[in-house]
Amino acid sequence: MTTRIKHLYLHVPFCNSICFYCDFCHRVYDEKLAYRWLDRLKSEIEDNCKDKYETIYIGGGTPSSLNEDQLERLLTMIDPYTGECLEYTVEINPESLSEDKICILKKHRVNRISMGVQSSDDQILRSLNRRHDFACAKEKIALLKRYGFENISVDLMYSLPGQDLDILNRTIDDILGLDVKHVSLYSLTIEENSVFGKKGIDHLDEDIEADMYELIDSRMNEAGYIHYEISNFCKEGYQSRHNMGYWDYDDFLGLSAGASGKIGNNRYSNTRSLERYLNEKDIRDEDLHLSRKEMMFENIMMSLRTIYGLDIEEFNRKYDSDLIREYPLGISNKYIEIRDGKMFCTKPEILNSILLDFMD
Amino acid sequence: MVPAEIWQVKDLDKKKIRNFSIIAHIDHGKSTLADRILELTDTVSKREMQDQILDSLDLERERGITIKLNVVQLRYHARDGQDYVFHLIDTPGHVDFSYEVSRSLAACDGAVLVVDASQGIEAQTLANTYLALDNDLEILPVINKIDLPSADIERTKKEIEDIIGLDCENAPAISAKTGLNVEEVLEGIVKYLPCPSGDENAPLKALVFDSYYDSYRGVVVFICIKDGSVKVGDHIRFMQTESVYEVTEVGVKTPNEIKKDSLSTGEVGYLCASIKSIRDIHIGDTITLNDDPCKEALPGYRKMNPMVYCGMYPTDNNKYNDLRDALEKLQLNDSSLTFEAESSKALGFGFRLGFLGLLHMEVVQERLEREYGLNLIATAPSVIYRVTLTDGTVRFIDNPSMMPDSNIIESIEEPYVRASIMVPNEYIGAIMQLSQDKRGIYKDMVYIDTNRNQLIYEMPLSEIIFEYFDRLKSVSRGYASLDYELIGYRQSNLVKMDILINGEVIDALSIIVHRDFAYSRGQAITVKLKEILPKQQFEIPIQAAIGNKVLARTNIKSLRKDVLAKCYGGDISRKKKLLEKQREGKKRMKAVGSVEIPQEAFMAVLALDDDKN
Repeated sequence: MTTRIKHLYLHVPFCNSICFYCDFCHRVYDEKLAYRWLDRLKSEIEDNCKDKYETIYIGGGTPSSLNEDQLERLLTMIDPYTGECLEYTVEINPESLSEDKICILKKHRVNRISMGVQSSDDQILRSLNRRHDFACAKEKIALLKRYGFENISVDLMYSLPGQDLDILNRTIDDILGLDVKHVSLYSLTIEENSVFGKKGIDHLDEDIEADMYELIDSRMNEAGYIHYEISNFCKEGYQSRHNMGYWDYDDFLGLSAGASGKIGNNRYSNTRSLERYLNEKDIRDEDLHLSRKEMMFENIMMSLRTIYGLDIEEFNRKYDSDLIREYPLGISNKYIEIRDGKMFCTKPEILNSILLDFMD
Repeated sequence: MVPAEIWQVKDLDKKKIRNFSIIAHIDHGKSTLADRILELTDTVSKREMQDQILDSLDLERERGITIKLNVVQLRYHARDGQDYVFHLIDTPGHVDFSYEVSRSLAACDGAVLVVDASQGIEAQTLANTYLALDNDLEILPVINKIDLPSADIERTKKEIEDIIGLDCENAPAISAKTGLNVEEVLEGIVKYLPCPSGDENAPLKALVFDSYYDSYRGVVVFICIKDGSVKVGDHIRFMQTESVYEVTEVGVKTPNEIKKDSLSTGEVGYLCASIKSIRDIHIGDTITLNDDPCKEALPGYRKMNPMVYCGMYPTDNNKYNDLRDALEKLQLNDSSLTFEAESSKALGFGFRLGFLGLLHMEVVQERLEREYGLNLIATAPSVIYRVTLTDGTVRFIDNPSMMPDSNIIESIEEPYVRASIMVPNEYIGAIMQLSQDKRGIYKDMVYIDTNRNQLIYEMPLSEIIFEYFDRLKSVSRGYASLDYELIGYRQSNLVKMDILINGEVIDALSIIVHRDFAYSRGQAITVKLKEILPKQQFEIPIQAAIGNKVLARTNIKSLRKDVLAKCYGGDISRKKKLLEKQREGKKRMKAVGSVEIPQEAFMAVLALDDDKN
């Protein structure tokens, strides 16, 4: 590739336990297996990493499920590529984050922490099979702040079984009390292969989910957060640069089992099977060469998620296209707005039905 | 398996021929008995045997019904030491196909009446028996399913004797399923059913009772020789159409077609005569010899007119021609199906089809979709209305959206039927209530035995189409059975009700209702549509109206949230798959203005109340 890849994603395929909403079939952490994984990853990094990345994101799974030595080894492998890094995120779970691990993160210049908090209601946390309570999350955030991590994001879920607007309201109070720069709020999706899916748990009613969405939107706005993407809120200047890369449909390199990547018109997913990742040379599960039309659609699909919209001129240049002409049905949708050379979706919470107008 | 040469007997003695049908209420075991008879007479080898062998349409086997009639010649070596030739003419059991039943009965001299010993006489047992009696057929009752623990042979015999007046002294009690006593049926046919009565020396007189098209031989015509004989090379004349052809092939079905040199009096078989189109053949016509014609034609059949109509439209407008071709092909072997082009503002170009009844309609739609790969939208079925305008002109309206403006209508008449319902005592009250709710006029109640009754009602055919049959089954837990026949047109206080979606009249959803029921039907339909129509990006009002007067209104709230929470790099594929799926679903809908309407919405005007089922 001639153009430089700006974003690196690395997937840690281990968790300490399996959450009931997750369908990613992660491995429960096993020390020996994790060492073998590190060995395999080393060669994958050497084969693929060539750039200095603007953003690096180590997600999972649960990166903090690795022991201190393994975390140290992992971050050391990444060190050579961090020289120009503006945003270096590691995902952690409250219960597996130790003071020693915080020191390791700090030492390797990780500057953003994304913590899976999910809820402030301990009963709900138990019903999701989370292994921490809210007090633990609070304590670890305080600890991170003491070590100088000021860019902290927390992940939360809503539209959960047993949750109502009152519970959600209290959760928002608790989250605002954490005083973090970034909050991701995801409505529960019941995945077929998750424990919830297998138990036949139903979605909450669409109206309740929409009420929750609106409550979150108004309360977070009041508290000074920018609702910059369907599920993401931040204080000014704390947008996730890495995730903005996805929504701008930038190229990114994805490493390890379960990761995806996109380089030019090649979008790929690596196997989710740790066995295959450890033992085989070919680790691709999906390896697509996208047509111009497919890339254009994917770009639109991603870019309409944020309040920053899609830059029409850049889009036209990238695909040698004329967006306005190519999508007459899409741009005539009443929730699509063209302003200052950009295209915006003014009601992203029903983006799916709007996107249908951009398909062929 | 009987070798082919055996079939080539010349100068058949008509005293050794028996032409008969098996008649029964649906599910009483008619096709199973036919299967056993075919096996017992070695007509079909075990290797070739499959269930319901006479039902050649896949649909017939799957649904366990007979739609098309079929004929087969069998040989039976009877206990009297003689060899007999049987022609078994299979008939459909369902009321929709009573036309086919009467066609096949006209080719017979006798009928085997099968009655389920655990059920007794049902509505179609009676209806089919009366058809057989109308055709002067001798009837051999057979008590079937005696292997069932709930079988009551004596009670069933008594019912047959009391209700139909048939002597059951010699009625075989059998199990067609296990084969028990089936041979008694064959003996009974020999002993109690008459041989054909025709004159073998008279000029040829043959009844045309069915036909199908074969691309190699032209039209294959099924005939029953009443007098005389016909052979290859004969010049035959169709007395009604007055067309003349040279016979190229004659034969019998065993059930494979076996060529013969000639067919003689009493035989039931087929002939080919290079006839190009099935439209050149009139079922019920009489064939005679051109050079030596018979004096008088057979009475033939009265033409069956369609009773139920609906619009069928391809979901993809480009498939219009494919649909027309498919309908033409279907019609070749189903003369009771009618169709003509029509267009709808909502659905584009399609056809208005006429059917004998609802089952016929279902069967045709299923065959079009399955055998011809078409994706169809069917509008709700309608009857044909007789409308007198203020200027005295009379119009027949089979499409509610074509109903003239009410201020130029003098009166509207609708078809009425005489409905016969057989029902156990405990459900009489419920059935009477239901029939009354459906505008039924009570006529009579006949006690069949201590347990069961026959109710007679006169009611509008449109009510039978609109959920009567389904409700009948549910209020009687499946124990009631129904048969009906058309008795003519009667004036009713009817109005056209329009359905508006997003302010637009959807012509394909218009229905004709009785004024007294308009309000409740309007409510039911709008509620049902609200359930069926997917939420869209804007609020959609749904209204039911007569003229400008809105009777019912409901709103579909706009879509509030439909998006997956997360979408990062790794989620693109799965997200796209979801959207593709949604788009496919959307393709199966019809866009009317800015609203997407799924197929099932067009049947919603039937608004079956699910809770009551």
